[in-house]
Amino acid sequence: MRRALQGPALYLLFLIALTGITTPLWAHAVLMQSKPASNASVTGPNVPIWLRFNVRVDGKRSRLTLVSSDGKSVDLPAPKQTAPDILETQATGVKPGAYKLQWRALASDGHMSNGEVDFTVK
Amino acid sequence: MLKLVDIFDYLAVVLSAGTLVGESLLLGGLVFRYWIARSSAEISADDLRGVQNFTMRWFGFSAIGLVVVQVLYLYVNTAVLMASAAIPFKEATGATFFIAGGIMLVAAMGCAIVSRIHGRYTAWLLPFFVLIVFGASVMTDHAASRISGRVPLIILTALHVSATGFWIGGLPFLLVALYVNRERATQWYLTRRFSQLALISVIVLVGSGVCMSVAYVGSLDALVGTSYGLMLLAKVTMLLAMLALGGINFLMLRRQGPDQVIPRLRRLVEVEVGIGITIILSAASMTAQPPAVDLPNDTVLPSHIWARYHPVWPLLTSPPAAALSTRHPGQVVSAEDPTRRIISYTSEGSPISVRVLNDMRWSEYNHHWMGLIVLAMGIFALLARTGRAPWAEYWPLLMIGIGIFIFLRGDPECWPLGPKSFWSTFADPEIFQHRAAALLCIAFAIFELRVRRNPSREGFLPLIFPLLCAVGAALLLTHSHDTSNVREETMAELSHTPMAVVGVMAGWSRWLELRLPSSKDRAYAAWIWPVCFVLIGAGLLNYREF
Repeated sequence: MRRALQGPALYLLFLIALTGITTPLWAHAVLMQSKPASNASVTGPNVPIWLRFNVRVDGKRSRLTLVSSDGKSVDLPAPKQTAPDILETQATGVKPGAYKLQWRALASDGHMSNGEVDFTVK
Repeated sequence: MLKLVDIFDYLAVVLSAGTLVGESLLLGGLVFRYWIARSSAEISADDLRGVQNFTMRWFGFSAIGLVVVQVLYLYVNTAVLMASAAIPFKEATGATFFIAGGIMLVAAMGCAIVSRIHGRYTAWLLPFFVLIVFGASVMTDHAASRISGRVPLIILTALHVSATGFWIGGLPFLLVALYVNRERATQWYLTRRFSQLALISVIVLVGSGVCMSVAYVGSLDALVGTSYGLMLLAKVTMLLAMLALGGINFLMLRRQGPDQVIPRLRRLVEVEVGIGITIILSAASMTAQPPAVDLPNDTVLPSHIWARYHPVWPLLTSPPAAALSTRHPGQVVSAEDPTRRIISYTSEGSPISVRVLNDMRWSEYNHHWMGLIVLAMGIFALLARTGRAPWAEYWPLLMIGIGIFIFLRGDPECWPLGPKSFWSTFADPEIFQHRAAALLCIAFAIFELRVRRNPSREGFLPLIFPLLCAVGAALLLTHSHDTSNVREETMAELSHTPMAVVGVMAGWSRWLELRLPSSKDRAYAAWIWPVCFVLIGAGLLNYREF
């Protein structure tokens, strides 16, 4: 019996070793389209934000933040979903200047991916 | 905190790979117990009882394994979510992954419990629980999150995953059954039944796989120009190797008798299990990447691939460690510093400053020297194989050189070359990976040298080489490159992925050389792995970063 189990035991070791070294290749939700578009110039002070992803995203657990050129960040109101792949909200009282829209979107497999969209408010 | 999130992120992928393996084993075990190992007019229940009991025991172990993996997965993924997006625990529990993971956890517990009870409802309850595990897994796959073609993709995924489970997940149970039951008639019965199931599974697996590839990859350019496409090609190549082995089994079963077939088949199945598990792990890596079709602007063009990888003379001189950008972590270098001047761009548009150029040359030098060493290993192993150069049997000594080389030059910011302490090895997954690889190389050299000095095929020791080789290749297959440029990452994988696949072949062909019962069969396998080493060496020599 001891000899019979030697083969399976080796495989178990192999399996543990393999799963132990698997490396993350994270990137699930990919931003396909945005308004404002990357490097676009828009009119303030109210800026509608609209993001479309490649997959369904969990709007309730996704986060949008607006960062101004001086580094100050404001959490935007919880995004609404007009479609499963869309996040929509509005930034209000935005002064003219350069901004970064930081997004974090939760995909169905539980991974939170993130990214940025640079734009300018006139 | 960020480091902790990184490590937990890494663990979440490891655990999702474990989930996929566990799920396949449950599917395979279930089918093996109730379809392959069921009694019939050909063979009595008494002859199969031992196999059935052993299958149930291993099915139970697989279920317990999946329970452990799911508990850890839910904990790790929830912690990552709470830390990275400031989501409270209560809100995290409403996320799809948490609900699906929770359902899978309960169903796996059900499998573990019911497999220990030999009641009259066992045969009904087990498929029920396995079906729930299967459904919960499909719930978090790419298909379920697609916007267009969602239902057909879910159906294709379900077919693909179930065929994988029945075939690859069933193979370990066949292997265990062939070890447990030494009666030729029973072994013959199980093997022939499994061969039929494998044939149907392969047809379903390939058919659904082709359809999904069209949907997720979309074009030939994306197949070679994205990480997703490359991983798919790697998976297909490994599948072809498995099919070749399966084809040999299939022909043997129809042309020869049990006494000729079973001893050889058992060894071939061992290798099929190994390659099969590697395929499942590469599938787990694929599910953690966006499908190629979603990256139309991040697909590397064939002309760019040629520009980067057309053969040139290897770089055998290195810039000094002090000139590297990673030499002084945290050091602020002003924008006017001459070493930050952009002097060129990569084929994918990434800027190259003097510092970055030094980093790239440092890395190319590392790869090229290692290529020379691996090439020498392959040539020496081939020379040793001819029987005319006994000195060439000492080729494993070269691996010690590789280990020391990786340790010294793999992470120049770390001790002994850089200011980071030795202990930072354990805080950074990438540094840890490199140092683990260095240790693996030295361990491999020691074990393999001992094997060469005592060329017995018996025991555990000779199997260290093929196992380490297969593990090392899987490490390379799933090795991520820390870059913000998706196309650059694909470029790096264009060189690493083929070498990894060849590495998998090298490991398992050496395994066959050691394990096959006939010396004629062993002789074929003995030529494959040295050739694989030569190919890996050539691949490393052509590695380029810009």
